[in-house]
Amino acid sequence: MDPKTAEILGQTNFTTLDWGIVAVYILGSVVIGLMVKRYVVNMADYVTAGRAIGTCLGIATMTGTELGLITVMYSAQKGFVGGFAAFHIAVVAAIVTFIVGMTGFIVYRLREMEVLTIPEFYERRFGPKTRIVGGIMLAFGGILNMGLFLKVGSMFIVGITGMSNQGWALPAVMTVLLVLVLIYTVLGGMLSVVVTDYIQFVVLSFGLLLTSALAIRELGWNTIFDTVAKEMGAKGFDPTVADGAFGGEYIIWMCFMGLVGCGIWPTAVARALAAESPETVKRQYRWSSVSFLIRFLIPYFWGICAFVYFKTKSPELNELFFPAAEGAKAFDNLYAMPIFLGRILPAGLIGIITAGMIAAFMSTHDSYLLCWSSVITQDIVAPIMGDKLDNPSRIKLTRIFIVAIGLYILYWGLVYEGGEDIWDYMAVTGAIYFTGAFALLLGGLYWERASSTGAMLALVSGCSAVVGLAPVQKVLGIDIPGARIGLYSIAFATVMMVIGSLVFPDKKEGPPAEEAAQETSEGES
Amino acid sequence: MNAWMMLWKIVLIGGVALFSGMAIWVSIGGYRDIKKLFKSVEESHKKDSS
Repeated sequence: MDPKTAEILGQTNFTTLDWGIVAVYILGSVVIGLMVKRYVVNMADYVTAGRAIGTCLGIATMTGTELGLITVMYSAQKGFVGGFAAFHIAVVAAIVTFIVGMTGFIVYRLREMEVLTIPEFYERRFGPKTRIVGGIMLAFGGILNMGLFLKVGSMFIVGITGMSNQGWALPAVMTVLLVLVLIYTVLGGMLSVVVTDYIQFVVLSFGLLLTSALAIRELGWNTIFDTVAKEMGAKGFDPTVADGAFGGEYIIWMCFMGLVGCGIWPTAVARALAAESPETVKRQYRWSSVSFLIRFLIPYFWGICAFVYFKTKSPELNELFFPAAEGAKAFDNLYAMPIFLGRILPAGLIGIITAGMIAAFMSTHDSYLLCWSSVITQDIVAPIMGDKLDNPSRIKLTRIFIVAIGLYILYWGLVYEGGEDIWDYMAVTGAIYFTGAFALLLGGLYWERASSTGAMLALVSGCSAVVGLAPVQKVLGIDIPGARIGLYSIAFATVMMVIGSLVFPDKKEGPPAEEAAQETSEGES
Repeated sequence: MNAWMMLWKIVLIGGVALFSGMAIWVSIGGYRDIKKLFKSVEESHKKDSS
């Protein structure tokens, strides 16, 4: 990196006081993890917090998990690139979550069946083999999906603190954060997760609002809109513009992603399964629709503000991110939002925001690590061993998997070289799991004739989504938008579910959970 | 373009206003729920051991 670029990137309001705030906050979180450990006695405590989470805590913890630093980063990137047109993703997510809250679609029946995980539902509905295959697909797609979390989260810290001009900073921050998260998650399980999620919710909610207010004060409300209009034109506002960053196909894909985000994605569903009653689940979802709106909306807005700041107030950053010279490589736009915040937030507040973001980072990581590792233990290893594993062995095994996944995300973050936006990478990798899962949940919960063969075919069909990844397309020599691949994969998995079920129906004495699915139909609106 | 601009302004202001109210409610109610949660987990452990 040349000295001029290093000097530009090193400019930040982050001070020693802010480092102190961050240190105290992180230390406090670890202490809470240690204090909560004594409450964890069995697997139900460890994975679902004893199924005793009330509405407000449910909303806080769901928001805490889904409003992670990763969400803030990839959303800011979308806002930076797509302008206000990106807002449509937030609106769609909120509407779909609210509809799920009103109807109880999928989540109500799952909670009523009192399963610990989605693959456990697979077993009750389609038999043990489906659970194991479903668990493998879930773990594969999910772990691949979180592969870039550590890197992206670390990029925020490196960017806001002005360390992005140091080559050693990113891997060093990644390692430190990983160690922190692993210690924390291994200690307390879901009980410590919900407590930190709550603290994070409080800090981050007010932090988001205050930072947005400061960004508007710095740039001016009208300037923000006028600059986007001048620089991006209609593409900056209208998501349906064909040559813009989105388009009709992308919007349809986002509608499905909205449903996945709240009703199919295991970390979100885990909150529904941990709720104290099925009615609480519906209430929790209705209110969480506001969080699902905000978790995208405000980071998009920050990304837009970063864009406006570069265009109107910082020619040197504008040149770095939008080089005029032909063939010159633009600086990674994931750094845009943290660098912008490093310039506009005052000392003290910047420390609180960074601490809140690190908490968000830890909260997302502990939830995801816990989710994927418990899936491997509960849904793959335990069924293969004939359920001979006792509670202490399951907790121990889950902790071992947490560490193993942690080491993988450190490795993947350092080696992956994809060209897509982080949000699109996540949508595609997640699709490996959720395209099949959607067909199984829909069929298993709402279609009596859905069979275990159909389920197995649908699960395997989900693998077709991997074609959406940039490196895979490069190998295959094709260039098809990830949104289109995702939509095709959903259709493919659903069709395979239907064909498999009609051609190979289950025998009448088959999987016992068909009865369970019928029993759960009562009480749902 | 102006209609989209107006729509996003309304969404931004409305979303932030709604979230502000919810953040206060959830912050207070969540604290109460945490106390209830630990009490309930402790009681269930006592029941299991007796």
